[in-house]
Amino acid sequence: MGGHLLRRLLAAFVTALLSSLAVFLLVRAVPGDIVAQMLGQAGGDPATEQALRGFFGLDRPVWQQYLAWLGQVLQGDLGTSWTQGLPVAGIVGQAFAVTLELGLLTLIVATAIGVPMGLVAGIHEGRLLDNVIQGINILGLAAPVFWIGLMLLIGASALIGWSPPFMYSSPGQDLWQNLQILLLPILSLGLLQAVAYSQFVRQSVVSALQQDYVRTAIAKGLPQRKVFFKHILRNILIPLVTFMGLILVQILGGVVVIESLFALPGLGRLLLTSIQNRDLPVVQGGLLLVVGVALSLNILIDMLYQYLDPRMRR
Amino acid sequence: MTRKIDRRTFGKGTAGLLLGGTFLGGARSVRAQYAAPAEGGMRGGKLTVGSIVEPPALDPFHQGADARIQVTVLMYQGLMFEDASGTAKPLLAESHELSEDGLTYTFRLRRNAVFHGGRPMTAADVKYSYDYVRNPENGSPGAGDYATIEEITVLDDHTVQMRLSEPNAALLMTLTNKYGGVVPEGYFDDQAARARMNQQSVGTGPYMLAQFQPNSFLTLKRNPDYWNESSGLLDEITFVYLPNAASMLVALRSGRVDMAVLSRPQDAAQLEDAANLEIRRFPSFNQKSIDLDLAYEPLAPLEVRQAIALAVDKTKLMQAAIGGFGTVIGTMPAGMQEGWGAPVDELPNQGPDLARAKELMAKAGHGGGLELTLTTIIGYDWMDPAAVTLAEQLKPIGIDLQINKVDLGVWINNFRSRKMGFTFNDWGSQPDPSLLFYRHFHKQPEGADFRNWNDGPGSELLDKGRQESDPAKRRAIYVDFQKRLAEQVPTIMMFSSDHVVVSSRKVKNYRHHPTGWYFGLADAWVEQA
Repeated sequence: MGGHLLRRLLAAFVTALLSSLAVFLLVRAVPGDIVAQMLGQAGGDPATEQALRGFFGLDRPVWQQYLAWLGQVLQGDLGTSWTQGLPVAGIVGQAFAVTLELGLLTLIVATAIGVPMGLVAGIHEGRLLDNVIQGINILGLAAPVFWIGLMLLIGASALIGWSPPFMYSSPGQDLWQNLQILLLPILSLGLLQAVAYSQFVRQSVVSALQQDYVRTAIAKGLPQRKVFFKHILRNILIPLVTFMGLILVQILGGVVVIESLFALPGLGRLLLTSIQNRDLPVVQGGLLLVVGVALSLNILIDMLYQYLDPRMRR
Repeated sequence: MTRKIDRRTFGKGTAGLLLGGTFLGGARSVRAQYAAPAEGGMRGGKLTVGSIVEPPALDPFHQGADARIQVTVLMYQGLMFEDASGTAKPLLAESHELSEDGLTYTFRLRRNAVFHGGRPMTAADVKYSYDYVRNPENGSPGAGDYATIEEITVLDDHTVQMRLSEPNAALLMTLTNKYGGVVPEGYFDDQAARARMNQQSVGTGPYMLAQFQPNSFLTLKRNPDYWNESSGLLDEITFVYLPNAASMLVALRSGRVDMAVLSRPQDAAQLEDAANLEIRRFPSFNQKSIDLDLAYEPLAPLEVRQAIALAVDKTKLMQAAIGGFGTVIGTMPAGMQEGWGAPVDELPNQGPDLARAKELMAKAGHGGGLELTLTTIIGYDWMDPAAVTLAEQLKPIGIDLQINKVDLGVWINNFRSRKMGFTFNDWGSQPDPSLLFYRHFHKQPEGADFRNWNDGPGSELLDKGRQESDPAKRRAIYVDFQKRLAEQVPTIMMFSSDHVVVSSRKVKNYRHHPTGWYFGLADAWVEQA
């Protein structure tokens, strides 16, 4: 078990290193750097450009830039934002806190709605209730997240005259305002993930119901509740946990759109504006964090399996 | 607590807004410097301004983005002010004198200007700031504008002299508020000083920085020591950065935002029924144009460029792009036409004239058709409908137009490296013809000549215009230049879009400056319950 974890961690480290290199090269391959951005379409002359490139270290060969950056990162320093002049770690951390809160609350909402829906549909397979839930699922899966978000935003304003405040406050500053700001984003992302969830849970229940051990359990006269919780639910937990991890990663991906739509200062919007501004240290630091989170989630899920499935502990 | 501001009546025709304030004429001579004087203006209150564009940073020396200039003009000030009428008026300077030979400017400085934080501004600060911005090694995008300054000398604490290497009639306009501004002497000696401008302002303007939270908001607070007592009436101004036009409309309707300049002027139609909102239009110095790179092979023949100019129907393009919210132009942005524009009916190649355009295409050997690619920029809403309309307009003369959409950063890169091809552009300048044309159209190496025009006669006119300080003669030179421009077609200026400002009815005395920068907030006030 210890050796397995160590191997996973090592693999994760190598993955992170390789992706950092890929990110570093990729963001530099995009035409137009921060210097052109700062000078605008008509400003500056060659001497000015030269001076600015020197200031940002862009006049050095890329491999030198990478090694210098990597050296800093390994010492725990993500560098300084080129546009804001503040430490990247602070900027990225602050943005990630917003995204994480949004992600976790969305996951809770999605689970709370999606899992019961899926269970009900699965148990009533082929009957009216199942068809209704399936219909909702298909509608939900077909609607893009920005459309749902926009409809909620416009709908809330037109129907009840309410719109969320847009000057972001963290839960620590003002919890009530924070929740008001997050309500619509959580709903639009949460509803979407809930139907994906429900679809998945339904499938798992339907296939579990066809298993021999379930048939046996029913045949030997176990109470329905016991069959359901002890045999069905227990067995779909593993795929459910995998799926939960996938959903969380998907939510973190989906937030780019939702954060932009609702003006949330989260990681997605930060990355988007940083790419537009060619603020490379922030892009690199932010993406490194995203990679780190995805890798940690994978390891965490892997460990959860071992806890949930005794067979994997061997 | 509110205090009423009085003023002496100035001139005529200032909008008669006598709203609840007691008007005490002549008691004290105070004057708003940026906008119409505030009648019955109230001190105090907060204003929330919505914006879709956000400054990447707040450093007026190194950051050239228009979104930066829009807000930093409230914090940082230059010696002069780019008046809406198109002339440079004194700001931190009180007056100026030009020597006989046109080479030496002497500026008397305002004695009561104080930096945010309380230190009085002196001539040494002025010298330091302009020396810093004009030195190319310091990396300011504006450095090139100041190239004709040879030396800046401090005569006494309140007098500064600038000696030029050659006469430059645009100098005063250069000393306005696009780049730089006067900051305390030695400010940039500290390595961290550039970055600190995002946390703390060090200018002399009516507002100072309270907090900048990127991707969210920017808050300015009143500068209690501001040198012009009648300006800077609001306690606090907050710019909130909204992600799109839809949320902006919602925010305006709900009153969450008190004021906004619409990025898509035609959106105003969706707000016309809102009783709490006022919609106003202001002329602008901006221009939406089609740029033609002469190094892009299909555009090299003069006939092809002229044919395109003749096939273009600017009125229809404007309708498609921004509805009716703008002015069709010849060779000068709408806000500058009166002062500097050539009469449009005297300009060659103003279409549409399809018969002549077809003739020219045939003469260039393209009777059988020609394929062209037009570049548009992602995020510039007007360009999409305009591109489709342009394709329709060019079809009859045998041009098959492909549309290529690129990211702004990529586009800037192409433009700066003189590889723009055939593209839409959206730009403006301070209201001086030399600042407008010189860098863009003078041949290299003096100008940047982004369109590879490389035109001798045009460049000669630009040189003459820069050296001539007599306004009437200067105007005549630039009229000739515009005729050359229209004849040669390195660019087709289509229209200037109006600034459409939507504001809550409690917002008073706000006038939007033609540059699009928020000077007007210095003199705006809000009616309080």
